Amino acid sequence: MYLIVVSVNIGIFILLALSLNIITGYAGQAALGHAAFFGIGAYTSAIMTSNYGFSFWISLPVAFMVSGIVGIGLGLISIRMKDDFLAITTIGVNFVIVALFQYSSFFGASLGMTVKKPMFFGMRMNTSGYLILITIIIIITCYFIHKMNKSWFGLALSSIRNDEMVASSLGIDVNKYKILAFSLGTAIAGIAGAVYAHHMTFIYSSDFAFTVSIGILSMVVIGGIGTIRGPILGAILLGAAPELFRFFADYRMIVYGGLLVLMMRFQPQGIFGNDSFITRNFIQAYKNIFKKKVGDIIE
Amino acid sequence: MNEVLRIEGLKMYFGGLKAIDGLDISLYREETLGVIGPNGAGKTTLFNVICGVLKPTEGKIFLNGEEVQGKSSFEMARKGVARTFQISKPLRDISILDNVVASLGINEYTGFKSLFKKSHSKETVDKAMMILRRTGLEDFKDKKAGEVSLGYLRRLEIARALAINPLLIMLDEPCAGLSNFAINEVIELIMQLKEEGKTIVLIEHNLPISMKVCDRIVVLNYGQKIAEGTPKEIQSNQEVIEAYLGEDDDFA
Repeated sequence: MYLIVVSVNIGIFILLALSLNIITGYAGQAALGHAAFFGIGAYTSAIMTSNYGFSFWISLPVAFMVSGIVGIGLGLISIRMKDDFLAITTIGVNFVIVALFQYSSFFGASLGMTVKKPMFFGMRMNTSGYLILITIIIIITCYFIHKMNKSWFGLALSSIRNDEMVASSLGIDVNKYKILAFSLGTAIAGIAGAVYAHHMTFIYSSDFAFTVSIGILSMVVIGGIGTIRGPILGAILLGAAPELFRFFADYRMIVYGGLLVLMMRFQPQGIFGNDSFITRNFIQAYKNIFKKKVGDIIE
Repeated sequence: MNEVLRIEGLKMYFGGLKAIDGLDISLYREETLGVIGPNGAGKTTLFNVICGVLKPTEGKIFLNGEEVQGKSSFEMARKGVARTFQISKPLRDISILDNVVASLGINEYTGFKSLFKKSHSKETVDKAMMILRRTGLEDFKDKKAGEVSLGYLRRLEIARALAINPLLIMLDEPCAGLSNFAINEVIELIMQLKEEGKTIVLIEHNLPISMKVCDRIVVLNYGQKIAEGTPKEIQSNQEVIEAYLGEDDDFA
């Protein structure tokens, strides 16, 4: 049971890391306030189900849309600001939204919000149900990102990440694509939030604080930015770590920070990124095995 | 002759600095126009204005008879204005092949819809390979653009411009910083483009190159046109010689 609860949490982190990776990894935009959109999804779904009696299955796509629409706002900001300034602004957005949750009575203010577990074919959804749900959402997201990487959309984001001036000289409407990347990434974070709210059955503003944003970013960077496997493995690694090293939990942020610095110095591609030590050796090993087999066949 | 580009009374001021100050230029189909002038004459600014990177303070630009000044950079690209950059700007962390494929997609970047259209279709990759062969980059197709030397990056710039299949190719100092050998290769490439009937604008500091490649040359100084004519006429123009020798004797 405990294991399944941890797995669902890690699943939510995976979804968050994958969604942030669209903005930061593929489109190359600084985003240090991702937890805000996680929160927007969570509160949207919580308010819809608890205050207005909607079903979870309706609030899920609505959370997706509301986060995405607020994400468009962030995209509009990214047109005006770049790099460090954008990073600072996104931090600010995170604080403003958390403050809204904390002080507005509409969002339960400092009491937080209690959320009901949803019904599924007449049965109350249990923890395994969440695990299945989050796994399905992750698989769909991965498929979607995989598809994106092979499309003109993905190529447009790559161009923008490298050089906006060049991108526009290739006929890419840079502003439009930035907004799209932000709204896609934030919308997926919204789904993660909705699942989180109903899984935890209680949400509070500090669940979506700036430190959570940093945690998500650490997962992406440590795993391997700009790949699909990177954020997934990063989220598993950093998501499982506090459970394994519970006695160390108070110092988690120090460890994250330290890891980030070490990664930037020695493996800027991330542990599992393209060109990283592990990936290189893995591919080499795979090639060696394959060669051997071919050799055997020839002999 | 068919007029591809016409610039009328173009002015581009940066605060008090008059980078371009009342410029009129015409460019005809299949012509190669050289733009020369000392440092700070406004050559690259002119390119940036034509490409939509900068909005002109005043004046009009016509592309194939259509008024286009103030249009944004991606719109100009879609209208068929391709450019290279003075300082090579490859898409560094993707392969040379992907760089060219990205340029081939000029009409595919439709926004959300483009998510559902595969970029590396066989047809597109074949087209990209053809361009890479022409520009001599075939062997490097899988290398990341950030990993090859400057000579190849210059060719990549031209390859990218070609992939757009442009109405007008604007080359901003394609030979700057190259060895003599690499310069000859780039010149050969430009000559090939000329033979194919492409319309080209070339900024080049190296006068012998401009003289060799261009049909007509415009000389800028302090944002104004001080001379215009065939390479021969320009060579013997006293004002041009003074502008160059008076400004900086590196060009002698």
